[in-house]
Amino acid sequence: MVAFWKIRRSQGFRAALLTLPPALFIIFFMILPLITIIVYSFWRTENYTMIPDWNLNNYATVLGQKTYLTFLWRSFIMAVCVTAISLVYSYPVAYFIAKRGGRYRLILVLLTAAPFFTGIILRVTAMQQILGPIGLINMAMMHLGLEPIKIFMYTPFATGIGLVYLWIPFMVLAIYLSLLNFNFDLLEVANVNGAKPWRAFLEITWPLNWMGTAIGIALVFIPTFAAAITPRFLGGVNGALFGNILEHEFGATGTWALGSAMGVVMFLICLLVIVAVWKTINLKRSGYTGSLIGEQE
Amino acid sequence: MTPPDNSRRKKPMNSEPFHVRFKNVQKSYDGLTLVVKDLNLDIGKGEFVTMLGPSGSGKTTCLMMLAGFESATHGEIVLNGRPINNIPPHKRGIGMVFQNYALFPHMTVAENLSFPLAVRKMPKDKISQKVGQALEMVQMGEFGDRYPAQLSGGQQQRIALARALVFDPELVLMDEPLGALDKQLREQMQFEIKHIHQQLGVTMVYVTHDQSEALTMSDRIAVFNDGIIQQLASPDDLYERPENRFVAQFIGENNELGGTVDAIDGDIARVTLDNGDKVSALAVNIEGAGARTMLSIRPERVIIDPDESRVPQAIGGLVKELIYLGDHIRCRMTVAGNDEFIVKVPNAPGNRRLKVGEKIRIGWITEDCRALDAA
Repeated sequence: MVAFWKIRRSQGFRAALLTLPPALFIIFFMILPLITIIVYSFWRTENYTMIPDWNLNNYATVLGQKTYLTFLWRSFIMAVCVTAISLVYSYPVAYFIAKRGGRYRLILVLLTAAPFFTGIILRVTAMQQILGPIGLINMAMMHLGLEPIKIFMYTPFATGIGLVYLWIPFMVLAIYLSLLNFNFDLLEVANVNGAKPWRAFLEITWPLNWMGTAIGIALVFIPTFAAAITPRFLGGVNGALFGNILEHEFGATGTWALGSAMGVVMFLICLLVIVAVWKTINLKRSGYTGSLIGEQE
Repeated sequence: MTPPDNSRRKKPMNSEPFHVRFKNVQKSYDGLTLVVKDLNLDIGKGEFVTMLGPSGSGKTTCLMMLAGFESATHGEIVLNGRPINNIPPHKRGIGMVFQNYALFPHMTVAENLSFPLAVRKMPKDKISQKVGQALEMVQMGEFGDRYPAQLSGGQQQRIALARALVFDPELVLMDEPLGALDKQLREQMQFEIKHIHQQLGVTMVYVTHDQSEALTMSDRIAVFNDGIIQQLASPDDLYERPENRFVAQFIGENNELGGTVDAIDGDIARVTLDNGDKVSALAVNIEGAGARTMLSIRPERVIIDPDESRVPQAIGGLVKELIYLGDHIRCRMTVAGNDEFIVKVPNAPGNRRLKVGEKIRIGWITEDCRALDAA
């Protein structure tokens, strides 16, 4: 009996008990679906049914046919641009809130996420009401006797605006959380040592908050790269992205196997981007001190 | 507390051009209360001036205004004859050491030291030479490749000191730089900073609330309280000739006796203590006959059983407590109603042993007892 309690109270058992819920979560909601998609991507679909004869034809289609590569490339460029614009726009916002927000910081940063209180369809539709031909902007232009702004009306540009609007709160939040732990006094130190404010930003603020910024980049890049709804609502006839084609394979055409292969390709590209971003993070260079304590002599 | 040896100190001459001048400087954060009230202070080239005072006295605010992190609400700060009120910190060319070291955590020690040189566009080979010299100066030559997190507090502060000096500034500011270090390390660093000051001849403005630190290191000390410089003097003047009650109490150990001025006779004030005893003291800061005054006497200047032909104003006291400290005996007495009156009796041949409860006579040379304000 005593021995039993000793085992129950042992560290290993408790650790296992604590690890179980997250492990189950990851297995059921991440690894199993992923394995399913990978398996399907090597199968074949015929008349809306999956046929398990193993082949590489789906990958040959996705990576070999120009159409698919074009859409892949479009999505990639869209994701890069949207991420870059979000970054440039979010940094000052997050910086302002972290530095000057005072006791309203939390409220301010939650307000940037206010659009999340509604669903994605609603938000994209709202964007339509602002940018579309009879939207707020173009109606106003016409009332003033001006030409409507064509580029806002069902173009990839409009998709870009919509995607920036959708995912910018993630970027703001990631940078804000990083800046919360940033010692702003270091900027005064840089100033007194002769650095102009922009130089202090580039040499102190930017590298010391790069980890948070990188997380923001990943958080915006991935959903933008996979976007389907936004281009469908805002992109117009020539604005389809890879996500729309992928969606199509699972819907109207019912070629699940090809869709799965497209999903796997998309997953691998996202993985590559994350690894590339992660490689730029040097823990020592990000001011992270935790791992260095062991090295102290 | 013995006043430090002052023979090697270079006293700034009045004719010498000042390096830093605060002229009628005021500072208010909220527009209502002045944190710094009408500050006037001239600091000579190569001088080591300490701003000493309790927290909230305005000393750090003055340093921040000099560094450029705070702007003066009123008045002028002049550096090298040039008003710098509107010059941003990065153009002032001032070295600064902060209390929390403030090293850049993502840069190695060598990169931290290179920073002020790199922003000044110094060529690379010159930079590594200067960085090497600066590291040698603080005896940290081996540590160039370390990150700040891999150094102890004392080592980090040496690096911070080296970074403040590496670009050869003429003026170096220090904001309680040793506050986070343990006592032994602090005393060692005090001497090192002092030696570096003598070696380089830079002007140093040092902020601390630790009076022994101020007395050890400074050419002159500005004692701050309530936004005002209470007294600006060399360490020995400050200790031996305090001009007001705050300075007398703040610097070193002090005995106070309250009384009323009967008459002023040249330099000498005749005072009736609160218990009716009549004594004489040096008139320093009293309004005139009839005014309240606080007499200030250092514990080591009190004479026990004085020769009353030489020391006329002997008064009675009751021994309350004796503490044996080896070289001297610390005696707490009740004198004229003050039962925290401390006398340091040297453990010297011929001095008689006191006993608790004993009634004795004490006195002092008139010049050692200073009649100060009663505020």
